Amino acid sequence: MFQPLLRIAALAASVFAVALAPTAQAQQLTGVTDTEIHIAAWGPQTGPAAPWGAVTRGTAMLFQMVNDAGGIHGRKIVFHPFDDQYNPAKTVAGVKELVEKAPGIFAMASGVGTSPGLAVKDYLMERGIPWVGPAAGSLHWVTPPQKALFAMYPLYADEAKLLVRHLVDKEGKKKIAIFYASDEYGENGHRGAMAELTRLGLKPAVEVSVNQADRDLKSHLLKLKDSGADAVLMWVNPTHAVITLKTAAALQFSPQWATSSTLSDAVMMQAITGGLWKNMIYASFGELPDADVPQVKKYRDAFAKYAQQGERWGVFFMAGIGFVEPLVEGLQRAGRDLTRDSFIKAMESIKGYKGVMGRVTFGPGERQGQREIFLARTDDTGTKVTQLTPWAEVK
Amino acid sequence: MDILGNLPQVLFSGLAAGSVYALVALAMVIIYRTTEVLNFAQGDMAMMSTYVGLGLLVAGGLPFFWAMLGALAFAAALGAFSEFAFLRRAKEPTVLGLIIITLGIEMIVFGFASWKWGGDPRDLPTPLSPADVVVIGGVIMSYLELATIAISATTISALFLFLNRSKAGLAMRATQQNRAVARLMGIRVRRVEMGAWALAAVIGGIAGLLVGPATTVEPYMMWDPMMKGFAAAVLGGMTSLAGAALGGAIIGIIENLFGFYVSTAFKSVVPFAAILLMLAIKPSGLLARHYVKKV
Amino acid sequence: MDMKRSYYRDLRLFDTWPLGLWLVVCAALLALVPFFAGNYLMYVLGYIAINAMVALGLNVLVGYTGQISLGHAGFFAIGAYATVLLAKAGVPIPLALVAAAFIAAAFGFLLGLPALRLEGPYLAVITLGFGLTVENIFAKAEFFGGATGPSVPPFSLSLWPGFSREQNLYWLIMLCAGGTILAIRNLMRTRVGRAFVAIRDSDVAAACAGVDLTWYKTLAFAVSAAFTGVAGGLFAFHLGQVDPTTFNLMLSILFLAMVVIGGVGSILGPLLGAVTISLLNLKLKGLKLADFEQIPLAGKEIAGFISRHFMETGMANIQFIVYGGILVLIMVFEPLGLYGLWIRAKRYWRTWPL
Repeated sequence: MFQPLLRIAALAASVFAVALAPTAQAQQLTGVTDTEIHIAAWGPQTGPAAPWGAVTRGTAMLFQMVNDAGGIHGRKIVFHPFDDQYNPAKTVAGVKELVEKAPGIFAMASGVGTSPGLAVKDYLMERGIPWVGPAAGSLHWVTPPQKALFAMYPLYADEAKLLVRHLVDKEGKKKIAIFYASDEYGENGHRGAMAELTRLGLKPAVEVSVNQADRDLKSHLLKLKDSGADAVLMWVNPTHAVITLKTAAALQFSPQWATSSTLSDAVMMQAITGGLWKNMIYASFGELPDADVPQVKKYRDAFAKYAQQGERWGVFFMAGIGFVEPLVEGLQRAGRDLTRDSFIKAMESIKGYKGVMGRVTFGPGERQGQREIFLARTDDTGTKVTQLTPWAEVK
Repeated sequence: MDILGNLPQVLFSGLAAGSVYALVALAMVIIYRTTEVLNFAQGDMAMMSTYVGLGLLVAGGLPFFWAMLGALAFAAALGAFSEFAFLRRAKEPTVLGLIIITLGIEMIVFGFASWKWGGDPRDLPTPLSPADVVVIGGVIMSYLELATIAISATTISALFLFLNRSKAGLAMRATQQNRAVARLMGIRVRRVEMGAWALAAVIGGIAGLLVGPATTVEPYMMWDPMMKGFAAAVLGGMTSLAGAALGGAIIGIIENLFGFYVSTAFKSVVPFAAILLMLAIKPSGLLARHYVKKV
Repeated sequence: MDMKRSYYRDLRLFDTWPLGLWLVVCAALLALVPFFAGNYLMYVLGYIAINAMVALGLNVLVGYTGQISLGHAGFFAIGAYATVLLAKAGVPIPLALVAAAFIAAAFGFLLGLPALRLEGPYLAVITLGFGLTVENIFAKAEFFGGATGPSVPPFSLSLWPGFSREQNLYWLIMLCAGGTILAIRNLMRTRVGRAFVAIRDSDVAAACAGVDLTWYKTLAFAVSAAFTGVAGGLFAFHLGQVDPTTFNLMLSILFLAMVVIGGVGSILGPLLGAVTISLLNLKLKGLKLADFEQIPLAGKEIAGFISRHFMETGMANIQFIVYGGILVLIMVFEPLGLYGLWIRAKRYWRTWPL
């Protein structure tokens, strides 16, 4: 009577053995062959966050330029961008599919959004897959620092702090109102501004939040106006910024506006607000798109050659380049003998690297590569931009 | 906070917002009371018409008035086509099935518009600048808001006359009440249904053209007005034109009052709480006659 | 020929024994997936199973009781948050899931109360408002983690020691999905299930026959919400993250689409619907300009036309056209959804060659 039981046990054992085999095999996929390095990125090409998709396309252009210049130590970069619609369920599916299909993925580049990023962070880190330049200014990437995660995006809170400091110290504003989106981006800006106001011994004139779906912002703007604020910190997305300025104009409300790097694309903002984008103070974590420095000029010239029809040379597109420049630099430094460990070592050796972002420094315990930002301002016509402060780290 | 002093301003702002909701609500009511379909594509059809208007204006170089007229003509064609190509083709449709068909139309229209024009927001230039205002009794009224209210009121009155006094309006009502009998009476039911869709698309298109200049033109521009319009239609009773107009105004005003005096964070859900309260008292909506179901 | 000729046949768990056998074989195959497949396949199957649980639960309300809901993303969110917060407080995961079911059911009960007097668009708008309110409260309240959502504790339950977290989670999801199918099948064979169907067919007649409308309508909401809540809890672990903005109106609409596309009022229908919509969600991709050049005869011209008149950067949006087109096609040609197609195919072969 024990014979059937034994047989079942043997069967179970063999099934068990089969089960362990593929997991071992999956770990061997490194995404590097003799001639190719496979790199992936998610970014919303469709859906409500679609304007952010330009980040991924900027990254793609950078890799194309690298390949056309001869690749990296005899290898070409094969880039696998995919559209996740800013939907974490799609991000996870896309990442798992790419990572587990031969030849695998060597590293992730950029990757838009906090919640899509959070959904795959543990999966990537457990497998030791490097991820460079998440395109979202979140504290989650570096608290605690992860061995294989190299963050580039300076914190939104730092930008808000610098703006508030400037408004109070240099512009002499005393009643500062905070107008923020009720998402992670807005909350981070709100938090940073509150911290700085408290440090300066001030109270915000009023704090008003706006939901992503709202299209009628009159009561929001009335509240801001009613508070008697002389400056408003605006931490919203481009669409809401347009509605805000239009509604403010209709209510004859004209404070000093100050806003985040997300809205630092003065040319685009000027176009979509129908000319209301003037006298704006904003933070920026990268060189301005029309800056006359060689790092930017190089890409602006290439843009004419590589860009898809319908593409626009703007902040998001450029950020896609800037977030990933250190990855290319790291691949160069790692040399021909490329493994994930040698790549991480090479990344840690990057000190004071200057591309289109501020200076980038990584190290054994340092995973927030860029911390420098600066403030800029558009003039009364909205076309000329002047830099207000030099590149600096916010203390 | 100056509580009383701001009240007229808040009410005016609410009315301006509400007059757009009223138009969307009317569009939904026209389709619902002719064909008993909840049209989820209403908002995105309006969005696409607005893009067409923008295209005619900027790329086509037409004068403002003609470009807007062109957009509305496109809206009518889009509405009629949707009915003709999709809803009419459904075999023995269920109510839920028809809803899903309109959802499908919504996705097709959305996909097409975002493919053609991309996801970046755009500016719809109008002869009126948002900064043109007139101050009456301490209330700041922008020309754009005044125009919105005026256009909306005119459209609603014209619609009211058309549907209640004309043969076509009567045919629409007959179609809703009993399709088979209406057909026996010589009403071309299908043509009436197609006409209702075209008319609704035009009304929605007007809403889109009013939302565009005040906000921005982008694929999601009508998502919020459409939801509020749906709420307004239900508040008004789903079959009543006057109810839809009233519902739109009420929702716009409640929203702005709550947003200003209480909290902007929950502004968008307050109308639904109001509807819940109202429906608890009058389950068929404000102005709809309560019908007794036959078994 | 699908007529049931005796009352007892209607009461059976499976119509015929081969059907039961097939189901056991399918279940066994699904249970064996982690032994040979990687994480990706497990993820996709888990995603489908979670959606299937919601679709089956929603079907109790829409298909069997004849109500409508545009707010099931709200129950889904309640389940996810309840599970995560309880698990973080140290409650064992199975217990947290059960608690999530009860909490979601309690909210379902509450939402069911207005449903007593409302139907059609009125009920639709109230449920829509419910979904929005839940999404807003979760996104605003500090207690629930604000806009980022609470961090999800690692899935620590081990059904079969020695296997990875993903494998164990997969088995738990499949167990719950299988349990949902059995539970709903069983429920519909009972007095409660027949009361639901009676309400759908005519609530006045049902009331005359002694069905307590108040109790059974709210119960339908509660039952539906309970399954959706468990699915939400599993989803939180499946994704390893909770983001309040993902529980939006579009999700509610897609849940409803699963039920309607699959075919209301059956078990197989919502399953087919969930598989279809899930795969469309995960698998649809946009096209590239090069794809159009592949078209025979006029490929170059078509691609040229498209690049002149459309945004190349917007080509990913073609997936929405395909998505919408599939929804429209299914509903236009088969009002009963995929289940209707299945019935028709079966009938065709049974009477073949007649």
